[in-house]
Amino acid sequence: MLILAKAALGLGTTLAMAGAYVFHEGVIRVDVDEHREGGSHVHFWLPATVVATGMRFMPKDQLDHTTAEVRPFIPALRELAKELEKYPNAELVDVSDARDHVRIAMADGKLRIDAVSEDGDVVHVSVPARLLRDVADELEEKAPGV
Amino acid sequence: MKTFRGILVISSTLVLAAGAFLPTRAIAQDTTTGSSSKSEQWIHVRVESKEGRGETVRVNVPVEMAAKVLPAINKNNLHDGKVRIDSMHTNDVDLRAILDAVRSSRDGEYVTVQNNENDVRVAKSGGYLYIHVTDKSEGKKAAAKEGKTGAKTAVAHESKVEIKVPMKVVDALFSAGKDELDIVTALKALSAHGDMELVTVKDDENTVRIWVDSKNVAD
Repeated sequence: MLILAKAALGLGTTLAMAGAYVFHEGVIRVDVDEHREGGSHVHFWLPATVVATGMRFMPKDQLDHTTAEVRPFIPALRELAKELEKYPNAELVDVSDARDHVRIAMADGKLRIDAVSEDGDVVHVSVPARLLRDVADELEEKAPGV
Repeated sequence: MKTFRGILVISSTLVLAAGAFLPTRAIAQDTTTGSSSKSEQWIHVRVESKEGRGETVRVNVPVEMAAKVLPAINKNNLHDGKVRIDSMHTNDVDLRAILDAVRSSRDGEYVTVQNNENDVRVAKSGGYLYIHVTDKSEGKKAAAKEGKTGAKTAVAHESKVEIKVPMKVVDALFSAGKDELDIVTALKALSAHGDMELVTVKDDENTVRIWVDSKNVAD
């Protein structure tokens, strides 16, 4: 029984630590709702660490192609991500007209993009600002000379 | 004993799981306090259009952020936070020479043009450069189109541009050298100033406002 308790303690601690590592960078949240016939409904939460870690295992040719395309913007993206972290709660862009409303803001350290259209289509994306920096760092590492 | 171990396992799991979420929150909380305690300047742009579907655009950017991100963008005429202008001579008017003259002169009204088409006023007062332009040509065209000659219609269609810039910002803007505008140095100079209205453009269909203050949301 004692061994079983020790094993449970070990497993619990390992799981908690794994959880701590996976979620320490926050969560990416994507919600897409198209309120029309056959419209898509996509809802998922993804630990930000998965993206940062996933980039290390991305096929080299695909990563090279991506870095080549975004190379001119990497320094700007890196600076922007670094600066965004300093403003955890701020409204950055708000565009609205009689039909649509798009809002880009920082909320609790996350970059939030909300788009709502008159016909009921809704897109909410929330990305931790730190993830943007990690992605920029990773791309910079793969594209030396930036 | 068993109960104690069980509680230990559950509590340690909970503590570690809480720790996973806590750092991000704690950091966010710290930075919130930090940003509110500093009196950071924000540039606000607000565009309201009555045309079409009546668009409203609001942009709020921290001056410090703009000053740091701009040098990282090197595209077309923008390099290292400076904009290259191919020719500072516009319609045979040497803008740099005019600004140099205004900068080194005393306060006063430098340019006043009043005619049927436009009213233009360029003045320097209390360390600020003022540029006011009223375009009456659109009003006249609109009045003619509507078959009316009344002054009321013409006034309603007038387009007004009002620009107020601290001379220190103008100096910083032209500090880069020939045919270049140093945007980053100008932004840094701007952040040293307090709250102020920079640009107002008004006509019967659009309103544009650019101002600087320490709030992180538009009015």
